Amino acid sequence: MSVLESLDSTTIEASIAAHLDKAGITDKKVIDDITAVMVPFIRQAQEVQATLKGLTSLAELDALRVETLGKKSPFIAFMRTLGSLDAEIRPVVGAQANEVRQALEGWIENRKAELTNAELDKRIGEEKLDITLPGRARPIGSKHLISQIEDEIVEVFIGLGYQVAEGPEVELSFFNFDALNHSPQHPTRSVSDTFYVHDMSGEEFEGPEPSDVLMRTHTSPVQVRAMQERELPIYILAPGKTYRRDVADPTHLPQFTQIEGLVVDKGITFADLKGTLDYFVKAIFGPERRTRFRPHFFPFTEPSAEVDISCGICDGSGKIDGVTCRFCSGVGWVEILGCGMVDPNVFRAVDIDPEVYAGFAFGMGVERIALLRYDIPDIRMLIEGDMRFLRQF
Amino acid sequence: MRVSLNWLEELLSEGALADIPIEELTERLDMTGTGVEAVEKTGQTPEGIYIGQIKSKEPHPDSDHLWLTRVDVGEAGGEYADEDGLLQIVCGAQNFEEGDRVPVAMVGTVFPNATDDGKDFTIKKSKIRGIESFGMNCSMRELGLGDDHQGIMVLDQDAPIGVPFSDWYKAGDTVLDLEITPNRPDCLSMVGMAREFGAVFDVEPKRELEPVIELVEGDENIDDIATVVVEDPALCPRYTARVIKGVTVGPSPQWLADRVTAAGTRSVNNVVDITNFIMYELGQPLHAFDLGRLAKDGDRRAKIIVRRAHDGEQMTTLDQLDRKLGSENLLICDLEGPVALAGVMGGLTSEVEDYNIDILLEEAKFDPANVSRTSRALQLISESSLRFERGVDIDNVITALDRAAALIAQVGGGQVVAGAIDVMAAPIEKLTLPLRHELMTRIIGEDISLDTAKTYLEKLGCVVESGNDELNVTVPTYRPDLEREIDLVEEVLRLWGMENVEATLPGGRERLGGLTRTQQLRGVLDKTLRSLGLSETMTLPFSDDADLAKLSFEPDEGHQLVMLHNPMSSEQAILRPLLLPGLLNSVSLNKRRGVSDIHLFERGKAFLTKKGRKLPKEPERIAAVLSGLWNRAGWNVSSEPIDFFDAKGIITSLMDELNIDRLRMVEPQKDSLPWLQPGKAAVLMLGNAPIGWLGEIHPRVAQQFEIDDPVVAFEFDVGKTFKAAKADRDFTTPPRYPGIEMDIALVIDEDVAHSDIERRIRALGKKSALTDVDLFDIYRGKGVPQGKKSMAYRLGYRSENRTLTTEEVERIHEKVLEKLKKELGAELRS
Repeated sequence: MSVLESLDSTTIEASIAAHLDKAGITDKKVIDDITAVMVPFIRQAQEVQATLKGLTSLAELDALRVETLGKKSPFIAFMRTLGSLDAEIRPVVGAQANEVRQALEGWIENRKAELTNAELDKRIGEEKLDITLPGRARPIGSKHLISQIEDEIVEVFIGLGYQVAEGPEVELSFFNFDALNHSPQHPTRSVSDTFYVHDMSGEEFEGPEPSDVLMRTHTSPVQVRAMQERELPIYILAPGKTYRRDVADPTHLPQFTQIEGLVVDKGITFADLKGTLDYFVKAIFGPERRTRFRPHFFPFTEPSAEVDISCGICDGSGKIDGVTCRFCSGVGWVEILGCGMVDPNVFRAVDIDPEVYAGFAFGMGVERIALLRYDIPDIRMLIEGDMRFLRQF
Repeated sequence: MRVSLNWLEELLSEGALADIPIEELTERLDMTGTGVEAVEKTGQTPEGIYIGQIKSKEPHPDSDHLWLTRVDVGEAGGEYADEDGLLQIVCGAQNFEEGDRVPVAMVGTVFPNATDDGKDFTIKKSKIRGIESFGMNCSMRELGLGDDHQGIMVLDQDAPIGVPFSDWYKAGDTVLDLEITPNRPDCLSMVGMAREFGAVFDVEPKRELEPVIELVEGDENIDDIATVVVEDPALCPRYTARVIKGVTVGPSPQWLADRVTAAGTRSVNNVVDITNFIMYELGQPLHAFDLGRLAKDGDRRAKIIVRRAHDGEQMTTLDQLDRKLGSENLLICDLEGPVALAGVMGGLTSEVEDYNIDILLEEAKFDPANVSRTSRALQLISESSLRFERGVDIDNVITALDRAAALIAQVGGGQVVAGAIDVMAAPIEKLTLPLRHELMTRIIGEDISLDTAKTYLEKLGCVVESGNDELNVTVPTYRPDLEREIDLVEEVLRLWGMENVEATLPGGRERLGGLTRTQQLRGVLDKTLRSLGLSETMTLPFSDDADLAKLSFEPDEGHQLVMLHNPMSSEQAILRPLLLPGLLNSVSLNKRRGVSDIHLFERGKAFLTKKGRKLPKEPERIAAVLSGLWNRAGWNVSSEPIDFFDAKGIITSLMDELNIDRLRMVEPQKDSLPWLQPGKAAVLMLGNAPIGWLGEIHPRVAQQFEIDDPVVAFEFDVGKTFKAAKADRDFTTPPRYPGIEMDIALVIDEDVAHSDIERRIRALGKKSALTDVDLFDIYRGKGVPQGKKSMAYRLGYRSENRTLTTEEVERIHEKVLEKLKKELGAELRS
């Protein structure tokens, strides 16, 4: 039993005596001497213990600690005197003093932990926030709607093993028209449909158009260049800006973004084209959407088709609660892209043998998809740069 | 192409389409390549209309333009009939006579949506200027049968009196508006559509055309009346003509007017309507000349000459416009000059307008490309030019001519002169193509039997012979689109049904998807700018002199602007040599709309060219404009106006993210960036090559874009930047020992740049433990002498292998100060 648990001087003395007895010290005088030294000391420790309980702040506690165990405290002063004690009693007193010192340190530490906790609880109570106040947000910019859709689509096709091909926006008629099986009198070649660019090469150009340099009207020239330059098989996606001489109005711009795809490989069939576009539509518009392929005509593919997706608003039924669906005008389908099997003439123009290779190509307008997806009333919003428009996406 | 189902059914076997619901009909057409753009129900006349006969017509006693009529409607009059069984009706029309048969609306008839504001209109017993009226004599428009509302509709004399109008007048029709793709000229005719329907719906077209009519020729021979010379057979492979004498030009009979109305044309007169009717029926446009107005030779013969126009030759077309022509235009001429622009429009001088005339009827095949160019150049695109442009059937020319001549004689009276002129340069050759089963399967991916293919192709009019694993297909002349084997594959596929092809994905042969490094870096660039708070935008690439003049932009030495031949407007005549003008216009737009905080960037092509270049250079550039605040000040957020250093910081972050460490920003040469405010501009350099610029837009430039606030902008070349982006990053083990930071505040001359100080500090750092230099304050004012500034730096010291002592750090710090004192005259700020 520790002497520190003794309550009064008698018991303290008895306790000390017991300790001494255990240590084998029986000399009464020695016992008295030690008791005389120790009792007030233990008392003092007990007083500190009592005081600790009443302390309410860490500052007070620190003051008490310095007072009790600091360099200048009586206790430390007493400890320093231990050396001068008789060798006989020095170990006993030393051990006792150490015990008291450790006890004191323990009490102070415990109390310090209690007070620290209490102070933390108090602080936590005081620091309660109005969490409805606005945070310190860092404004983050937005990706343009067209880029978003373009990136989404590119991602789908990269997953299918495609690469992204690029080409110039100002092109030669050869790549934009001739190599794509457009007849010389094809109406889209006319100056009312296609932007022609001044040719600075000094070459003379014969023909009804002012030049054979133009702003590409689709990204198909990228396909032609790819077929000329790349090794077979080819699986590419060609996204990019294209230009047509349309007056800007709510549904037209002279610039639009097109994404075309081209596959040239052995054994490619129309069934593969269907499967690919089916997969694409489900990936971009949702697994519940269906596709339908309607035969159509394009100069650079044969057979050709237009592809509709089932209307996302009326789920292809054409009606909402018995009323004609405004979105698809009751048709149940929305046209989304054009496609077909690469025309043998196109293959011949780039020296690919159509008896060995087959391929498919498809193309879609990104703006159209954007308008469809968000029901945007005026396509011109896409190019105005109004911060409030851009930040919504 | 407008297709009347009533008309179509007459060309198909009886009731061929009767059992097909309209939804199924349109769906099937859509799915076989004939897009249905609209379905229009016409001629649904309301109940209560009966055929009546005008028994008497007297002037209304109290009106100078109303008539009092008594009309026989059989039993239909009921209680309103007078003692003679006639209905008394007050009528405002002027175009009828006693005895005429007309449609009459009984009291109680409801015309749906008939009033101007779209409400129903009900015929009531009424008093008009004191006279009772028990019904209404109807106009075509009131019946929904046409636009004609000048008078009441006068019916044929055989119209049965007292019979419900709709029972007699088979007006109820469904008209499909069909999208015909440019490769299908055959579908621009009812006969062609009947053939197409025949193939699509597996029904038989009829052999004989309605009305069945026989050509009866007179004694006189055409060779004595007219001759034709085709000078340019390439542009006019076939020219045929007939003459009909003594034709009375007048209103068309009802059946004819109905047909051309259903096809979408106004009924003009019997001759014009017949030419239109044949055009819609057979797809063969005709032209009728007034023979009397064509110049004659010595033998009183009209001579038609088909030739190219002389350069600068003029003619007045039917629309009374003077057309200036050139050798690219093909003309139909008489001996005196042009009488028609071949395939495009007739001339005013030979127009059919008299009542009683001789007609020279032309039916030809013109070169599609030539008609296309002429009609587009002169903006004279018509139903007729459209058909020539797509290609009329050379084989059917004479059939159409004969049928038209016979019909004109029938509806206009007159006599068809014996013989037809037929000038054809080369005999008609039909194309025979193989169709291999192997190719069909290889392209479609489904096994469609040759027998099935044969059935489809025969329905389309091909003559098919079966061979060994292939067909030999002879293509009719009305299908110029069937030129190659692959074209036949398409025909088989579309009739077999694309929907029946089972979808597959291409097999997994050797291929790897992915982005190139440049494409990946674009992603990094854009993403970094967005995370720094900039929003991506897109502008048009067109620019104009005015915008570039506002910037005082001049292309670099040797370069030129890229110009369009045919811009939408003069404001869009140049392809932008830099992205800035488009972005400044966006800033301006935002400001005008009250949006003052602008953080925009665009990545896109700029265009420049050089003498001798065919295609211009298209450098990809990135540009940004910043104006206003980053964010509005909040209860816990301060807000500073955006300035030069915001943009500079963005570039620094960008270069960091792109792993580029050698970008320098240097002062521009005087006047080299005139759109930037001098002193607030920098050139971005990679090595010794400038790649772009950064700075505050010159206030005078901003004002010209109607921007009053400061705008900070930058623009640089993406490709050059990416070339400097290092693929790998160097790794160094993060130091384990804590560093020490010490501040140093210098008082230094105003003209000493931060970079001068930093460079000197870092020079020392190379060999010592000095690792970081951060400027954290600049101060001018009290305590700092005029012409000087205080620059406060936080220097970081750190060793890789131990904790530094304060003493050794202080020694280096001393050296820094000494060096700055010695070399820059800096003083320690007290």
